[in-house]
Amino acid sequence: MSAALDGGPVLQVRGLTVRAERRTLLDRIDLDFPARSLTAVIGASGCGKTTFVRTLNRMVELTPGLTVSGSIRYHGQDIYDRGVDPVLVRRRIGMVFQRPTVFPMSVFENAAFGLRVAHEPEAEIDRSVTDALARAGLWDEVKDELDRPALALSGGQQQRLCIARALAVHPSVLLLDEPTSALDPIATQRVETTMRHLKEELVLILVTHNVGQAARVSDRVAFLSAGRLIEQGPTAEMLERPRDPLTQQFVSGRFA
Amino acid sequence: MATALGPAPGTGADALRRGTTARLRWRTGFDRWVGYLLPLLFLVALVPIAYLVYFVSAKALPGLSWAVLTSSADYQIHDALGVPIVTTFLFMLLATAIAVAIGVLGGVAAAEFLPERSAGWMRMSANMLVGMPSVIIGYFGYFAFVLYFHWGLSFLAGVVTLAFFMSPYVFRTVDLAFSSIPRPIREAAFGSGARPVQYLLRVGTPIAFPQILTGVFLAMAIGVGETAPIVLTVEPGLLVPTGAFQPAVFTTYLIWTGFNQPPGDVAYTLAFQAAFLVIVVVLALNVVVRVVAARYRQRLEGLYQ
Amino acid sequence: MTEPPDPATGTGPEPVPPPAAAPPARRGWLRSLGRAVPYLPAAAPAAIVVAVAITLLLASGFHNFGWDFFGLKFNSDQGVWGVGVLIVGSFLTAVPALVLSMLLGLGIAIASTTYLPRALARVLDPTVDLLAGIPSVVYGIWAFVAVAPWFGRVLNPWLASHLAFVPGFAANSISPSSEGVGLPIAIFVLTLMALPITTLLIRDALRSVPRDLWESGLALGATRWEVVRRVALRHGRRGVWSAAFLGFGRAIGETVAVAMVIGAVDKLPSNAYDSTWTMAAFMFQELDAAFGSSRYLELLAELGLVLLAITFAVNLIGRRLVAHLYAEEVAGL
Repeated sequence: MSAALDGGPVLQVRGLTVRAERRTLLDRIDLDFPARSLTAVIGASGCGKTTFVRTLNRMVELTPGLTVSGSIRYHGQDIYDRGVDPVLVRRRIGMVFQRPTVFPMSVFENAAFGLRVAHEPEAEIDRSVTDALARAGLWDEVKDELDRPALALSGGQQQRLCIARALAVHPSVLLLDEPTSALDPIATQRVETTMRHLKEELVLILVTHNVGQAARVSDRVAFLSAGRLIEQGPTAEMLERPRDPLTQQFVSGRFA
Repeated sequence: MATALGPAPGTGADALRRGTTARLRWRTGFDRWVGYLLPLLFLVALVPIAYLVYFVSAKALPGLSWAVLTSSADYQIHDALGVPIVTTFLFMLLATAIAVAIGVLGGVAAAEFLPERSAGWMRMSANMLVGMPSVIIGYFGYFAFVLYFHWGLSFLAGVVTLAFFMSPYVFRTVDLAFSSIPRPIREAAFGSGARPVQYLLRVGTPIAFPQILTGVFLAMAIGVGETAPIVLTVEPGLLVPTGAFQPAVFTTYLIWTGFNQPPGDVAYTLAFQAAFLVIVVVLALNVVVRVVAARYRQRLEGLYQ
Repeated sequence: MTEPPDPATGTGPEPVPPPAAAPPARRGWLRSLGRAVPYLPAAAPAAIVVAVAITLLLASGFHNFGWDFFGLKFNSDQGVWGVGVLIVGSFLTAVPALVLSMLLGLGIAIASTTYLPRALARVLDPTVDLLAGIPSVVYGIWAFVAVAPWFGRVLNPWLASHLAFVPGFAANSISPSSEGVGLPIAIFVLTLMALPITTLLIRDALRSVPRDLWESGLALGATRWEVVRRVALRHGRRGVWSAAFLGFGRAIGETVAVAMVIGAVDKLPSNAYDSTWTMAAFMFQELDAAFGSSRYLELLAELGLVLLAITFAVNLIGRRLVAHLYAEEVAGL
């Protein structure tokens, strides 16, 4: 109960280990995610950062052959407990993917998807969709074309629609798995602006291999290498005065 | 932020349990039951095919012997499958040869030498031909070969009709096999100065060969089970044909003429024995197709590694 | 256009000529002849299709049977041939078979792609593909001898007593002597025969839905069912529609199996269990009867043209919708 008190971390990861058949993908990770913060999880490709965020909403269970141990507590409740429905976990802890994954339906229906499947009342859907589109910084661009197919939007707009779609179900944590890796610089900038606004109200966890991006938007940085958490701390400290030589290498390599 | 969406994310041990509303339980329960029940639909395919194979085998096997398979006696009076088997073999040999000639030449030409637009039309025609009811092909054979060419209801008319029926299957697999050779391989071949014919023989054919083979086997599996194109164009003969314009008997003809005879009748017995043979041959060909196709996939995947 | 070096062969970046480029020094007419030659073999399927259509046209003698041709009166002895009966018969068998095989196909494809573990799906999928391998005439003899009597004894009476409120199903005239042949068994056989087509195409369509899209749906707190119904089926809707069209083409053109179980009588069915006839089965069984009657042959040829037109239209639409066909490689659709 102790960690679940108000003011404690929203998500608390302890001893998280993920094994494939022979390899260990994540090795005893301990990490806290406080309320109203943006944590950037950085590391080279293949270091396990995508696997890490996928454990946070039980998405990892969709990949056969992986075993998860350790605990992930959401407001003190272990999300892997028996009796906890992954459907509910994913509603509380939303996710945005590398590439925009808009559904083949209208802009509005995309944003409304999570609410529709939960059979929310129509008025509530209208309100939440409008609100979510505004919070994702997309409302002004799409308010006149809500009935157009979402696939007609630009890549950057599609990605912000995906963010809006995740926000519409009112999650308290949003996982962003390299959300700008498929976008051009201008679209990236817009998404980063959106992230900076969103961290005022919820917990954002951003996976990125781009140290510059971490520097621009995050409050805290966690550096993973080969499945282990090497170092974590406030962004400025981590990027300017990393203690571990591995972190130093990674951070300076990317800045150079 | 409390909304109509249910309780706000709580603080405390029931943060996730508190949202487990009746609606959510119903949704996930429904999903679970769909997951249990839908796979049972496989039984709709599994049970009939098992029953079919069992039923035909049970009717055919007791009387089936080496003597029956090899007896060249009159199949109208005796339980004798020798003549139909040998004749069917001849039918398939000649029809496959013609179909492969048409299909391979056509498929290679469409894939390698025709501009994309024209090749598209040829592909569409092959698809149209595949989708054509077998009775229409049979009518075409009847009117064109039997009547207009004056071949009569003959072995030759049946062979050519069957070959036309089989050819689009070969055409399509050959076309697909050559069109799907990875671009870098083509370009490497032409980049090192190969002429089109050299490319085809030295590079294209070895890569495409397994797939061509599956196309040929597939066409044979479909041809050997066909009825309408043969029944409408050939007069059933009591002997193995020795000339193009003689009558000839195809195995499936025995099924068609015997299926509604009284049990115990020779025609009835023969119908089931013929059906059994056809199933065995068709399934064997299908297994070969699958094995070759699986190995060919591995090979192609190997190319990309 | 230069290409990066190809690691597989080690050739460097060289300018690449168009694949089938002819050597430059040929004379003009020879070159165009060389370009024309490949059209000859490549056009073989097209030539056969055209030949079939022209042959049927010639065989029809362009005889004008008038509007009675499509009528519902049929009497061979008096030379009254209203093939409307057969067209109705074809649709009465093909449409219900299509509906059933689409529903089953959707169910099986969803089970295979969404609910079953990969390994199990890999074992079970081929069982459906096997259905495509069984020849039509084998379906026919099995259905006629093994299944039809059960339809006549058990299923048809059961349907009649439970669906009596539906017009046409309250059959007080199911004759026990009919051996169970008629519409229901024909629909049963056609359903089985169309099932591999519909299942394979829908399965392909669902398989081609990107993984990201599935996961995005689940990440929004949707169940697997909700994702497959609202996202995956919509993403693959072209494949689903093509399954419907190609399945219908198969069902309406099916010849021998239907001929064996439909009962083969040239009249409209009087109830849902009655015997009737279809275009394809009629053509197949009546060619002998037409021997010596040029009028009858002409009629059959014209009926063939009608059937050809229907299957062409249906196939054309179906294949236009298809994105890619793994199915045709496996089952020779």
